[in-house]
Amino acid sequence: MSEPNDAGIDVDEYEDVWVFVEEHAGEVMPVSWELLEEGKQLSEKLDQDLVALVIGEDLDDVAEAALERGANRVLVADDPVFEPYRADPYGAQFRAMVENRKPTIVLIGGTHTGRDFAGRVAVPTHAGLTADVTEIDVDDDGLLQARRPAFGGDILATILCEDHRPQMATIRPGVFEAGDRDPTVAFDADSITDVDVVVDESDTVSEVLEREIGDTADITEAERIVAVGAGVEGDLEPALELAESIDAKLAASRAAVDEGWVDGSRQVGQTGKTVRPELYVAVGISGAIQHLEGMNKSGTVIAINNDPNAPIFEHADYGIVGDFAAVCPDLAETLASDERTEVTP
Amino acid sequence: MTTVTWTIVVGVKQVPDADEVGIDPDTGRLDRASAPAVMNPPDRGALEAALSIKDVVDARVVAMTMGPPMATPVLEEAIAMGCDDAVLITDRAFAGSDTWPTSLTLARAAEQLGADIVLAGEETTDSSTGQVPPGIAAHNGWAQLTYVEAVEPRPEENRLVATRDVEGGHERVAADLPVVVAVAYGEFDPRPAPLHRKLYAENDFEPIEWTAEDLDIKDEVGLDVSPTSVGGMETVQPVERKGEVVETADDLAEQITEVYS
Ligand SMILES: Cc1cc2nc3c(=O)[nH]c(=O)nc-3n(C[C@H](O)[C@H](O)[C@H](O)COP(=O)(O)OP(=O)(O)OC[C@H]3O[C@@H](n4cnc5c(N)ncnc54)[C@H](O)[C@@H]3O)c2cc1C
Ligand SMILES: Cc1cc2nc3c(=O)[nH]c(=O)nc-3n(C[C@H](O)[C@H](O)[C@H](O)COP(=O)(O)OP(=O)(O)OC[C@H]3O[C@@H](n4cnc5c(N)ncnc54)[C@H](O)[C@@H]3O)c2cc1C
Repeated sequence: MSEPNDAGIDVDEYEDVWVFVEEHAGEVMPVSWELLEEGKQLSEKLDQDLVALVIGEDLDDVAEAALERGANRVLVADDPVFEPYRADPYGAQFRAMVENRKPTIVLIGGTHTGRDFAGRVAVPTHAGLTADVTEIDVDDDGLLQARRPAFGGDILATILCEDHRPQMATIRPGVFEAGDRDPTVAFDADSITDVDVVVDESDTVSEVLEREIGDTADITEAERIVAVGAGVEGDLEPALELAESIDAKLAASRAAVDEGWVDGSRQVGQTGKTVRPELYVAVGISGAIQHLEGMNKSGTVIAINNDPNAPIFEHADYGIVGDFAAVCPDLAETLASDERTEVTP
Repeated sequence: MTTVTWTIVVGVKQVPDADEVGIDPDTGRLDRASAPAVMNPPDRGALEAALSIKDVVDARVVAMTMGPPMATPVLEEAIAMGCDDAVLITDRAFAGSDTWPTSLTLARAAEQLGADIVLAGEETTDSSTGQVPPGIAAHNGWAQLTYVEAVEPRPEENRLVATRDVEGGHERVAADLPVVVAVAYGEFDPRPAPLHRKLYAENDFEPIEWTAEDLDIKDEVGLDVSPTSVGGMETVQPVERKGEVVETADDLAEQITEVYS
């Protein structure tokens, strides 16, 4: 017989690895599939189920996709109160599911949505919540080892949650690879459970007046990236020309995103995405530590900057000191005429 | 005491200056102890957001920090910028607190101050969890708005409308009060502190001091109630790069094409 520990918790009562599948109006955030693939490793080590959790409205397709991507079971909370997303109904619903079903590990994508509501689950359940994780594993005792960068990425800290359950973590988008969808996976009615919805519109304390989603680019899978920073001063054309010549995706520093030149879904760094392309070209980016953290796993790094003392040159393989508006078109022209830059399918 | 329409409480945290953290030449480890302590840069945006609300709504703005007495300069900075008062929440019992008791402490303090709005930064530059603002809201059962880029006070409805940055776009959300608001870093340009306020803050101002007991949470803080603990820390070795600077675009193109061959 297992017994409660000093914190009054019987950790053996808690089992299964949960992955939150984040969707907005039917569109699933790519980080969800990254977590499902990573969660599979953890659940196999623990010899427990991998359970996907979906909250929203009209979720049949999303639930089936989760099964085809490796979930053993799916829990679905389907109600108009959850669409569009709001922290208070999501938090209350997720909390009730955790209290009723007691998972040992809960993984949530570290998107603005995930990092918004995770605390509304962890606080009332007194769960451990590790933020913005980039490496996870379980040890021989089934304890989650969650590693996360701190102090702008200078430090990698291992965070443990020994006595409380569940062990929750938000995971930075782009650090794990998504698995493939397997349409031959067999499942039946028992694979998908519709849970009781515990939230009523009259309980809510917030109201979405309008929601405008434009650019939801996924830069995390890109093989080649051209990223712009404050140095381009709103003139994206030269960088776009360069990107086109090598079939690269456009990304940006936070400064360029804050200026409104590039959408936030393309931001690289501590508060953006982690990318690891074979080629990363930084255009007018100084090389702040919060930016480097999101791109230092790239293959070859190229820097274009007019300040010879810009820190980015120390973090690049090859650099050129010059005005981006002159360098980018020159480079694009040379590269466009080189057949080696053509992408082999 | 005169009554105001809104009480706005701003959480500010002292952190090591990220630009000044050096490497200890003997051990090769980060030397945070010698870095000067500053206000977490995103919190200056939170102060600006609070003061910008006070520009249009009759309000009292109070800064709060949970930390050692050494953290008092961040409160003085808040007073200099225009806050009406400031609270230092300090107690040895807080040692080892993760975000669960930290947000509980700040939640109780906000409640005790009669907060209608709590403003905070998106995340800190040291442990950067971003979990404290939602934690405050969760402990008190209040509404929350994170990644906020603009605020529209609606005192007549007793609500706050905010523009949030969400993946791939924006949304405008109205929240009932009390509400906890975490502002997106870089969106609120902090106003300069006038000289007379600076002098007042440094020479005459004394913050209110509260302990865990004053907030009635003596047994609910510190290491023992913290679900997480730091199991270890390693310094991340910078990725080795060639660091070569070439002269012409053609030289650079040559290196880029190398990547594919
Ligand atoms: C909590 C927190 C989280 C953060 N998260 C992130 C994050 O996720 N991602 C991120 O990127 N930043 C992040 N930052 C911000 C980061 O600290 C830097 O401020 C930011 O990365 C700077 O962006 P930048 O390099 O584009 O701009 P700047 O630092 O202003 O650099 C512009 C560069 O352009 C060069 N330049 C100017 N003109 C030209 C020209 N004509 N041709 C060529 N070069 C030119 C300049 O020499 C300079 O090096 C964060 C900060 C905080 C506090
Ligand atoms: C390396 C390291 C990693 C850690 N990882 C975790 C973890 O994953 N999970 C966890 O639960 N704990 C963690 N902790 C503990 C956590 O850092 C502390 O609880 C910390 O006091 C609050 O977290 P933060 O700095 O991340 O705040 P954030 O949530 O990033 O702060 C956001 C905003 O809240 C306000 N705020 C935050 N702290 C204060 C304060 N003391 N006073 C006033 N306002 C404040 C500010 O406005 C701030 O901008 C970690 C600690 C270390 C040293």
